[in-house]
Amino acid sequence: MTDILLLEGIDEPGLATIEGYERRGGYQALRKALRMPQADLVDQLKVSGLRGRGGAGFSMGMKASFLPQGDMQKYVVVNADESEPGTFKDRELMQKNPHQLIEGIVIAAYAVGATKSFIYIRGEYEHQADVLDAAIAEAYARGYLGESVLGSGVTCELHLHRGAGAYICGEETGLLDSLEGKRGNPRLKPPFPANQGLFQGPTLINNVETLSTVPHIVTMGAEEYARIGVQNSSGTKLVSVSGNVRRPGNYEIELGMRSRDIIYGLAGGPPEGRDVKLWFPGGSSSPVLTKDDLDLSYDFDTLAKAGTMLGSGAIIVVDDSNSVVDVCHKLAKFYAHESCGKCTPCREGTSWTVKMVGRIKDGTATPMDLDIMASVQDHIIGNCLCVLGDAMAMPVASMIAKFRGEFEAQIEAARERREQAFLTGVGA
Amino acid sequence: MARPQQELVTFTLDGREVTAPQNMMLADAALEYGDVEIPVFCYEKKLGPPVGACRMCLVEIEGIPKLQAGCSVPVKDGMVVHTNTPRVREAQQAVLEFILINHPLDCPVCDKGGECPLQDKSFGWGDGISRFVDPKRHFEKPLALSPLIAIDRERCILCYRCVRFSQDVSEDYQLILQERGAGTYVATFDGHPYVAPFSGNIIELCPVGALTSRPYRFRARPWDIEQSGSVCTLCPAQCNVSFTVRDERVLRVLQRDHEGVDDGWLCDKGRFAYQAIHVDERVTRPLLRDGGELRPVSWELALDTAAAALKRAGARTGAIVGGETTSEEGWLLQRLMREALGSADLDSRAGGALDLELHRALGAPALQAAVPDLQYADAVLVLDVEPIDDAPVLDLRIRKGVRHGGVRLHVATSRPSALDERAAAAVRFAPGAGGALLCALDAALSRAGDLDGAAAAAGVDPQDVRAVADGLEGDVVILWGERLTHGPGGAEAARALLNVAARLGLAGREGAGLIEIPAGTNGRGLREAGVLPNAGPGLGAAPAEGRDAPAIAAGAAAGELTALYLLHADPLTDLPGRETWGAALEQAATVIAHAGFLTEGVREHATVVFPAESYAEKEGTIVHPDGRIQRLRRAIGRQGDTRGEWSVLAELARRLGTDTGVRAPSMATAKMIAEIPFYAGLSLDEIGARGVRWTERPQAFAFPEAPAGPFGLASPQAAPAANGRLRLGTFRSIWASPEVEASPALKFLHPRQRVELSPADAERLGVAHGARVAVAGDGGSVTGIAHVRAAAPAGTVFLETAIPRDSAAILDGPLVEVWPA
Repeated sequence: MTDILLLEGIDEPGLATIEGYERRGGYQALRKALRMPQADLVDQLKVSGLRGRGGAGFSMGMKASFLPQGDMQKYVVVNADESEPGTFKDRELMQKNPHQLIEGIVIAAYAVGATKSFIYIRGEYEHQADVLDAAIAEAYARGYLGESVLGSGVTCELHLHRGAGAYICGEETGLLDSLEGKRGNPRLKPPFPANQGLFQGPTLINNVETLSTVPHIVTMGAEEYARIGVQNSSGTKLVSVSGNVRRPGNYEIELGMRSRDIIYGLAGGPPEGRDVKLWFPGGSSSPVLTKDDLDLSYDFDTLAKAGTMLGSGAIIVVDDSNSVVDVCHKLAKFYAHESCGKCTPCREGTSWTVKMVGRIKDGTATPMDLDIMASVQDHIIGNCLCVLGDAMAMPVASMIAKFRGEFEAQIEAARERREQAFLTGVGA
Repeated sequence: MARPQQELVTFTLDGREVTAPQNMMLADAALEYGDVEIPVFCYEKKLGPPVGACRMCLVEIEGIPKLQAGCSVPVKDGMVVHTNTPRVREAQQAVLEFILINHPLDCPVCDKGGECPLQDKSFGWGDGISRFVDPKRHFEKPLALSPLIAIDRERCILCYRCVRFSQDVSEDYQLILQERGAGTYVATFDGHPYVAPFSGNIIELCPVGALTSRPYRFRARPWDIEQSGSVCTLCPAQCNVSFTVRDERVLRVLQRDHEGVDDGWLCDKGRFAYQAIHVDERVTRPLLRDGGELRPVSWELALDTAAAALKRAGARTGAIVGGETTSEEGWLLQRLMREALGSADLDSRAGGALDLELHRALGAPALQAAVPDLQYADAVLVLDVEPIDDAPVLDLRIRKGVRHGGVRLHVATSRPSALDERAAAAVRFAPGAGGALLCALDAALSRAGDLDGAAAAAGVDPQDVRAVADGLEGDVVILWGERLTHGPGGAEAARALLNVAARLGLAGREGAGLIEIPAGTNGRGLREAGVLPNAGPGLGAAPAEGRDAPAIAAGAAAGELTALYLLHADPLTDLPGRETWGAALEQAATVIAHAGFLTEGVREHATVVFPAESYAEKEGTIVHPDGRIQRLRRAIGRQGDTRGEWSVLAELARRLGTDTGVRAPSMATAKMIAEIPFYAGLSLDEIGARGVRWTERPQAFAFPEAPAGPFGLASPQAAPAANGRLRLGTFRSIWASPEVEASPALKFLHPRQRVELSPADAERLGVAHGARVAVAGDGGSVTGIAHVRAAAPAGTVFLETAIPRDSAAILDGPLVEVWPA
């Protein structure tokens, strides 16, 4: 496990400047790519087995190949609206190595024939936006961006657009609407962005980490890259480990690493005397796993088989000092707050769930509410316009299924506390 | 864009084979072709592409693991759909449960109760039990979204049909969603009232009681009312409507979706001006001038007086017929005039006679486009007409064509148009120079003639004319306003228009042609019924040629005509030449008027007033600008002492010795049809509820032929030099009508004089936006509020006509002076 690609030399001073990046061999991949036919590049992306790092894990090469050929205006859009709780890998990539991303964008744009690209960055990433703005200006000055990239005749414009703080704008079609200046609501699919995306043009939309990986694939060759990792999960992945661990942070791992080695080995595990109670393997929207699942291989397929997902690679560890009801409440509140309100199951289901979990905490719920809660999650899953509803319902449903005993005990405990408080209040 | 192809596919719906047009949305195909209702809330075909927001229409499609939204899945050959499996039922129940958790169960006091899609769907697809015990979402309620619409945000289920209407159909972009998630609510951007020409449509679009009509609120429950279909006669667009009637009163007007006419939308005038039917100001008894004042009298006395006066005047009678007159009434009037009185002095056009040949050429069936052609054409030219004011619902049709059909829109008007923003090119010509503009366009299209000279006469840049000419390719529809053929240059303008039509090859071309927006609702029908000084029924040659409207005014003013018959017309507000008309009405010994309201000319000058039926009380037919004969049906009993006007006209003719043989309104229709060769064989049954385009019937061949050009054109006269003054342009606002003024709910929209100026002129004259200004012409002066419009052409000022005070009719153009008042 020595493959460090994305984070190589990440803390080297000056890496964020173009000189620093070039000193480390930056933009050589672009030169190489520009000498390759476009179709070969797309093939390379397919062969590399690179799967989207934003959450859905769809093959990037496939996505790129879905864009129609032809002379229409095409776009590359970078999803830098990193909003999933627990996820902070793109922030580090953009802040410390912005040119790696820009190089990836130019290569991808050339591969699919897009002449205009946009980075949609979450509004809160102010510093990172400044870094990117400076880097984009540098790249234009050096001819890596502009009307004719490195004199090749290939046009690549790149614009940075800051979001205004809505989680839903990380959903790709919501992002596109927001980028177009509209209210950021998800669109009905199909049509998929590859056919009709930004301003109705064919659009390749990818996560920051995905595009940052592209130069490495070009440099080392797709076959070489595909050798890293395991079957169906090639390459390295940044994992953001947070929660009850001693060394939270971003780690670049080879896919297929044992989860325990990430949580305990890299991140140091929970504090002394504490044990893992549950963990989210891929951001707050992934169904939770327990300490019994720590030996799972950390890759797309294994986690999917375990009923959850690798998602954005954000591991949130919750130790046994926490109440599962609190975790559930916080999570549901987040998604109810971020639901755009366009489709019914998500809008109503998330807010209803918050109300029900709230009643568990204040002692006015009954065990029957747990069944209703579980059924409401069932009714959300798969019935929404986009995946935001599922993002709450799946982890909530998994918590109820795996920690039902604790939910019931807390219902009872809170009910008793409430009764006591009432009796004290009336002076009994 | 070609019309959608109807290729059929067969799919399986709940075990049955169903054949439907390919790519039709499953929800539509299931209902229309499979008789299976897939419940929907957010989906509404009229709003454009589906959005899949409410999730009510989830169904199972074999081969797709997730349930699919039936509103947004196009049907494909061999598709297997299940709408009634346990899984589908559970999902639909779940969505209804979600929708209802925040919906107040106040159906017993909700206006929508009894005609509410949410109620229906809850009964049909809901579980009947709610598991929701938490507090519901609360909003302040009800609030006035506008003076016409109340909004109850608690009842809103956020299907956002209303927002989509505002953004994607009327394109007024006023309604938006505020906040997000369960806290989302419908609002205007900055909280200002939602006032727009089509705002009322959102009331009908709302599938719950969140948006209700303020004039209708709490007036009736669905079991108290009856619906009665008819046609709105308030403008030439002639939208199909349904009157909501309770106890012989019209309480509401709803759309009666007709793809060939209105596409299912109504303007707010059509929707709310019904209130004018039941106001005290309305004339509902015959009136007779007695000692200078109009006093109610018996029918017998009124008819006697009118008949005696007409008998005295005989051939020295002139008649003016207003646009809201039915074809039958017009036909009866021309019999009264021509047969009983021996007078040919009658006119239904305001701007002076046009050669009969030109009437025939412009009205030829081969040259007539239909309303849906506006949507499917390759290019549309809006010429000297402002749809939003003159035939509002067509504004939406044109926008739809541009938005969804890729129609290339060109606008050629004097006054900036609401459609400019959607137009590929807009040309501004000097007021009244439409003929010159057409000459230039003809020159550009034929690549012969004096383009530069004609363009200069029209006050436009020849390049702009060329741009329009280049854009008119493929199926072209020209929507033009009757005013183009008014005045001394009218005939030449008509010939130029025919030239343009000939150069574009519009005659006989499917999906292309002309649509004339007449100045009055039934302008087309009245001409075809023979209400012209130079034509009899069927645009046949008149036995004797009579005076046109301006000549009638002059004749009466000079004492040559002694009686004036005003059938739904008030020359002082409706016609140009106000000064002459004032003298004419003053001079005439007898003025007989059919009027619903005592507008200025009637109030001051009529000697006998017969109460006019409202359009909800009338029987008869009118003709749509595209040739569709439509039927008016009585929805309520006649108010007060009002009688059927057909009977008044027939009775007067009888008393003057002409038996028309008309004993019932349907007889008038039959006898009129018998006299119009190209209507031959039509019956009220055939016209039915949807109307008939006579131009599409085989009998249309009987339409009298006329040379259709190309004609040689004289060089147009240059628009008058301004000499420091401003050119006067006039317009009639959608809201300028006595019905709007008399409707309590709409009154706030009734216009005051608005003086539209370009920023350059405003600055030069020291006039600020919103300031009071005075405008003086040769005829007099008026005051109004300055309205500085960035798009207004410099050198021209636009003022409103057809308003009771400060009307531009008082001024006499073509040049006026403007100064701060």
